[in-house]
Amino acid sequence: MTTMMDRPAATPGHSAPKKALIERLNIFTAFALGIIGAIVFYYVAKAILPANTDGSYIKSNNDQYVIFSMIGWFIGFMTGIGALIGPFRWLLGKDLNHDENMFYAGKDQGVKRYFRYTTDHKVVGIQYLVLTMIIFFVGGVLAMLIRTNLGHAGGGWLQPQTYNAIVGTHGIIMIVGTIIMITGPFGNFIMPIMIGARDMAFPRLNALSLWLIIAAVPCILSSFFLGGISTGWVAYNPLASQAPAGMDGYIMFICIFALSTMVAGANITTTVIKMRAKGMTWNRTPIFIYGVVASVALALPAFPVFFLSQVMSGMDRAAGSTFYNTMGGGSGWLYENLFWIMGHPEVYVILIPGVAALMEMAPVFTRRPLFSFNLAIMGIAGISGLSILVWAHHMYTTGWAPLLNGPFMLTTELISIPTGLLFLVLIGTLWRGRLWMTMPTASIYALLWNFMIGGITGIYLSDVPVDGALHGSMYVTAHFHYTLMGAGLTGALASLVYWFPKMTGRMFDKTLSWIGFWFVQIGFNIAFISMFFVGLAGQPRRVEAYAAMFSRGNMITTGGAYLIMAGMLVLLYGVISSWTGGVKAPMNPWFAKTLEWSVPNPVPLENFDVLPVVTSDAYGYGKAQS
Amino acid sequence: MSDLEAPKRPSVFERKDIKQTVYFWVVFTAIIGYAAAELQARSMGVSASETMSTTIHMMRVFTWVAAPIAGLVAAMAMTTLISKIHFGDTPPEEADHQIRNATKLSATWLIVSSVLCLFAVVWGTVVLQKDNAALLNPQAMNVNVTGQQWAWNFDYIDNGTVRSQDLYLPVNKPVVFHITSKDVIHGFWIVQMGIKVDANPGYTTETSATPNKIGIYDLRCAELCGLYHAFMQTKVHVVSQADYDAWIKSQGGQA
Ligand SMILES: [Cu+2]
Repeated sequence: MTTMMDRPAATPGHSAPKKALIERLNIFTAFALGIIGAIVFYYVAKAILPANTDGSYIKSNNDQYVIFSMIGWFIGFMTGIGALIGPFRWLLGKDLNHDENMFYAGKDQGVKRYFRYTTDHKVVGIQYLVLTMIIFFVGGVLAMLIRTNLGHAGGGWLQPQTYNAIVGTHGIIMIVGTIIMITGPFGNFIMPIMIGARDMAFPRLNALSLWLIIAAVPCILSSFFLGGISTGWVAYNPLASQAPAGMDGYIMFICIFALSTMVAGANITTTVIKMRAKGMTWNRTPIFIYGVVASVALALPAFPVFFLSQVMSGMDRAAGSTFYNTMGGGSGWLYENLFWIMGHPEVYVILIPGVAALMEMAPVFTRRPLFSFNLAIMGIAGISGLSILVWAHHMYTTGWAPLLNGPFMLTTELISIPTGLLFLVLIGTLWRGRLWMTMPTASIYALLWNFMIGGITGIYLSDVPVDGALHGSMYVTAHFHYTLMGAGLTGALASLVYWFPKMTGRMFDKTLSWIGFWFVQIGFNIAFISMFFVGLAGQPRRVEAYAAMFSRGNMITTGGAYLIMAGMLVLLYGVISSWTGGVKAPMNPWFAKTLEWSVPNPVPLENFDVLPVVTSDAYGYGKAQS
Repeated sequence: MSDLEAPKRPSVFERKDIKQTVYFWVVFTAIIGYAAAELQARSMGVSASETMSTTIHMMRVFTWVAAPIAGLVAAMAMTTLISKIHFGDTPPEEADHQIRNATKLSATWLIVSSVLCLFAVVWGTVVLQKDNAALLNPQAMNVNVTGQQWAWNFDYIDNGTVRSQDLYLPVNKPVVFHITSKDVIHGFWIVQMGIKVDANPGYTTETSATPNKIGIYDLRCAELCGLYHAFMQTKVHVVSQADYDAWIKSQGGQA
């Protein structure tokens, strides 16, 4: 029996052999089927769902139609990209043959493989890189709209509804962008080569994790046309159940994104555990690998909870349930708990890979071993372990279980100990090294500075009485931008410059990397230091207008934000110009010792001709003393 | 003496980089501590309650406790930056050592950071207990607070049926707020008193303060609550007991 997916033999009479189905599917068929799916599901929902009955908790039928349409979009899109071909084959008791697997891996397809369901981890890495840049571009434009609106007191030119929608979308899209900014591009492209593997443990799951995010992004963007996400990125209930249909876009976005994160988490963790090169024992495994694994492994307990919290939110909106509705026996505090059980590990999901990437670069640019490898691992492990026990420090002032504030203050402040170890490792590596000043080297210093400020302000906030004054103010906004952007994004931008030669075969333009670095770092510190002060003086977060006393601080922040924008645009230009016309990169431009620099440019399809055998760790720099 | 003997290594404190670092450490600790503590405390503005004064004091002390750590990292970073730096497209010479660990230093670091952490936790807990105990004060007056999109209502339940949109409080009298919401979650925040707790629909939450300074203060919503969240703010009038009684009477209540 043949299936429709089998490659038909060339039949005489046709001038060319007919293309098999898997060769026809790409991003365009995915979008086409997705749109068709959305339309079909919309009309089906309209036909079969009973009209809203008074007295139920359902606000309107709109939410049902929107959620159904998005499910239709999702199913259509994933079918159209070819994600279902593999599972479908299994149902028929077959699997893909060798040719098809090679096709999936993107063999001999040139640029086209980037627009397909391609399983090669290097293609997925590049796809993630471009996707991350697109997300940051959108999130950045929204940030500039926010800052422009806050340029002067008394409300700007945006309508309150529009402003709130922009704040919410900026928040959630940047969170997603920063979650994938390192483990996506570099975790996929670099990590398998770094551990001496030919691909990921589950290449098809790898493609799946990427295309799930691409399916999710239109859901969040569509919310702009459905009234927006007017709840901030946390989407607290019952405000979220009151919000327009844009909220359904948020819910679907999170559900699909959480699926992607779970899939990627399982895949990356398995790859690192099972596929390290011969001889790469745990104490010879590069620290970046630890960072990536800690990050995605943390996502494993966190994101199912996120998924669930949004399913329940969607049911409250569209199916008349009352999980979060006090009138029906639910509680908004339940939502807050579920949200932060995801939300606090999530900040370390973002932060740890950024720090670990800079730890990986520190020995390379100081030409000496990483200082205290074991403490680095202890730091990462300690942070990861504690981070699942601290969620309710986001809820000190909610009034939920005041008796638990003390215990949560304890677990939260304990995190400062492993965090301190990360500082010790970085500063210890810089100490008495031979400094080779590049943009990644400078980023280590920038990280120390920014993360110090982000960390210490975090200690103030972790103290319950102080949080009583600062919670919900701009101080908190500045604090977490210092950690996620000042530390996390700094690590990601350094990673971009550092691994660019391996990923694109060309050097990142040095001058542009420096210009971008200084604009971003100076702008960042101007913007967010002044934000601390308006927060201290009492400006709440997420407001579109403020008292005149906050004018000066906000004006300075807006000025800083424009500097950041200039820097990011320079870096974007740097990516484009270096990628298309940059200097050809040698195999190992940084004279580093990790395995990814031992493969030629461009990296061949299965990375290594002969799998490497590892006999030492990658940090043997420096002259041995006799 | 054999001339094969290696030249005596200078003791740690004679080394130039260490001396530089110690010098920077002292300077940076002073600058960071003073700047961060003073600027932050000053921008927190006037304090209208002991809670707020304690909070400002805690910020100051935490800053001074953290300053030596931040100062040390900054000093070490600065020392590495003023040593020989190599620019260029190829790497400099390898460092002259392969040191991978410094056990004593690491242990010291770990112990110091643990002690500081413990200090913060213990002090925080002590203050927290005091704040919790204040909720049970039998001498305190009671005010019911109701948040709704986008206004606050205050019921002075000890004084009959008086309701207002601005909050009036007598000076030096402990007050316990019982807070709830009619619709979504709001954040009840009296800025200059350093107190904050959410107003949740269907539940009552509590917080307390003792205003200790006559004046007009800001009450702002601290939890995004929809369209006009930014404008959900009002004034807190802290007045003398006599003025308060007069105001209550003018509103039809009993003082
Ligand atoms: Cu409010």
